Amino acid sequence: MMSPATLLRRSAPVLACIGLLAVWQAASLVLKNDSFPTAIEAIRAIPDILGDKESLINILASLRRMALGFGVAVLISIPLGLLMGRSRSVAAFFNPLLMVIYPVPKAALMPIIMLWLGVGDVTKTLVIFLGVSLPVIYHSFEGAKAVEEKMLWSGAAMGLSPAQRLVRIVLPAALPEILTGCRTGLVLALITMITSEMIARQSGAGNILFNALDMGQYDTVFAMIIIVGAMGICFDAIFERVRARLVRWSEPQFDLPLSFS
Amino acid sequence: MTAVPARSSEWVRPVTSQEPASAIIEIDHVSQVFQTSARKDHLALSEISLTIEEGAFVSILGPSGCGKSTLLYIVGGFVNPTSGAARMKGQAITRPGPDRGPVFQEFALFPWKTVLGNVMYGPRQQGVRASEAEAQSRALIEMVGLKGYEHFYPKELSGGMKQRVALARTLAYHPEVLLMDEPFGALDAHTRTRLQNDLLNIWERDRKTVLFVTHSVDEAVFLSDKVVMMSKSPGRIREVIDIDLPRPRRRNELLLDPRYQKYVVDIERMFDESDEAGPAL
Ligand SMILES: Nc1ncnc2c1ncn2[C@@H]1O[C@H](COP(=O)(O)OP(=O)(O)O)[C@@H](O)[C@H]1O
Ligand SMILES: [Mg+2]
Repeated sequence: MMSPATLLRRSAPVLACIGLLAVWQAASLVLKNDSFPTAIEAIRAIPDILGDKESLINILASLRRMALGFGVAVLISIPLGLLMGRSRSVAAFFNPLLMVIYPVPKAALMPIIMLWLGVGDVTKTLVIFLGVSLPVIYHSFEGAKAVEEKMLWSGAAMGLSPAQRLVRIVLPAALPEILTGCRTGLVLALITMITSEMIARQSGAGNILFNALDMGQYDTVFAMIIIVGAMGICFDAIFERVRARLVRWSEPQFDLPLSFS
Repeated sequence: MTAVPARSSEWVRPVTSQEPASAIIEIDHVSQVFQTSARKDHLALSEISLTIEEGAFVSILGPSGCGKSTLLYIVGGFVNPTSGAARMKGQAITRPGPDRGPVFQEFALFPWKTVLGNVMYGPRQQGVRASEAEAQSRALIEMVGLKGYEHFYPKELSGGMKQRVALARTLAYHPEVLLMDEPFGALDAHTRTRLQNDLLNIWERDRKTVLFVTHSVDEAVFLSDKVVMMSKSPGRIREVIDIDLPRPRRRNELLLDPRYQKYVVDIERMFDESDEAGPAL
């Protein structure tokens, strides 16, 4: 039997969603504006989108680009960030470069990338890649820098080579920080995915949304916003579960300390 | 034969003074200079020479900042001296190796590994089969008094327990020399006493060479065969004192022993003298 407090905590996200939809419904009924459908109208439009083969192909294409951009970014950014965190010369080389790229909105680079690589998958995936890379590099870098030197010395005394120490000590020690970066990266992947499809309209979830807007199908517009938002919430929730499991050792969720010398 | 023994003498080898003591570590005119931020060179160690005999328990005693840790790191191969050399069995020390096992004040456990995972890490790295490494590690965990905690993460342990794990982790890969840098410095008095006793039990069993850094006079006299007193700015060896007290040593007996008391008082007096001689800090 769950206590009332636990029950409330567990159901809080659902209650928040219901509350939000209720406010939306009321506001739209009061405003009676064509471009602001009620929440119920928007929700009704969702099955039409998800039932339509064309739309589904578009959404899946978006997800494929997002997965690819995110995956490649993580695979490159983690080793780079860790190396930067442990080697002064690697950090000295890459830091200025990243400092220049960091504040530039990645979507602002799209026109140039489109010019070079066209409006297809490569351009959009590259923009997602750029959006994800920076937070992952940054957090990997910070995580690696913070690894206690004595831990590395302990490993060296056991006979671990520098490369083994990077993979088997720095990587796991920095994992909580790395995964924080990946979580930010995941949300950014979704954002850059939609943004890239706004700029290079050809296919994808963003394309459905903006086509509907052009044609005045406001219920579809809002239905797509719900779908994209729900995807973001789901990805984040799944990632958070995986993350919590991977770094259970770093979180003091157990009753401690045990009084014992 | 694994439990932390209630002191029984069956496995306590008598000190055999007939055996010729052979040097295992030689520190030969070692100096260490650090570049400080003010671009001024800081002489942390000046011309240190010291020979450590195989099987001896040697403490390095000195005020904070006199270079004790630096000296230990040089023997560990973690730091290369500015000049001079440290040798292990005649071989120049240039980097860390499993023949010299460190135990740090900060524990430096691998937080993502359980107690068992931490202790098994060294043997696994040395290529010991998993089942064998596990059996050995479980025995060591029992020896340091942590049976039942094999699957706990470091986060879940108290400071004293962490240091026990760190000791077991280092013992697990059978280093010939233990390098302990104020290992009990972060612990409360009661816990420190218990760990000192347990360390002596373990040491008196297998007589590994121990180089033990401390700033506590009691601790140094209680544990050691030899106390190396250092002075500060620059770090120098001030005095080397042989501690001629019988083993196995029992804390409650030793505290009443006038010889023990005399060592403590004499060493403390020497410290006071050097304080008066040097600049007040
Ligand atoms: N990496 C370093 N860089 C600069 N100065 C250092 C470094 N390590 C130690 N020192 C200095 O060297 C002296 C000796 O330090 P240490 O060996 O840690 O002393 P102890 O362990 O006896 O307290 C101190 O003055 C300390 O500030
Ligand atoms: Mg020190």
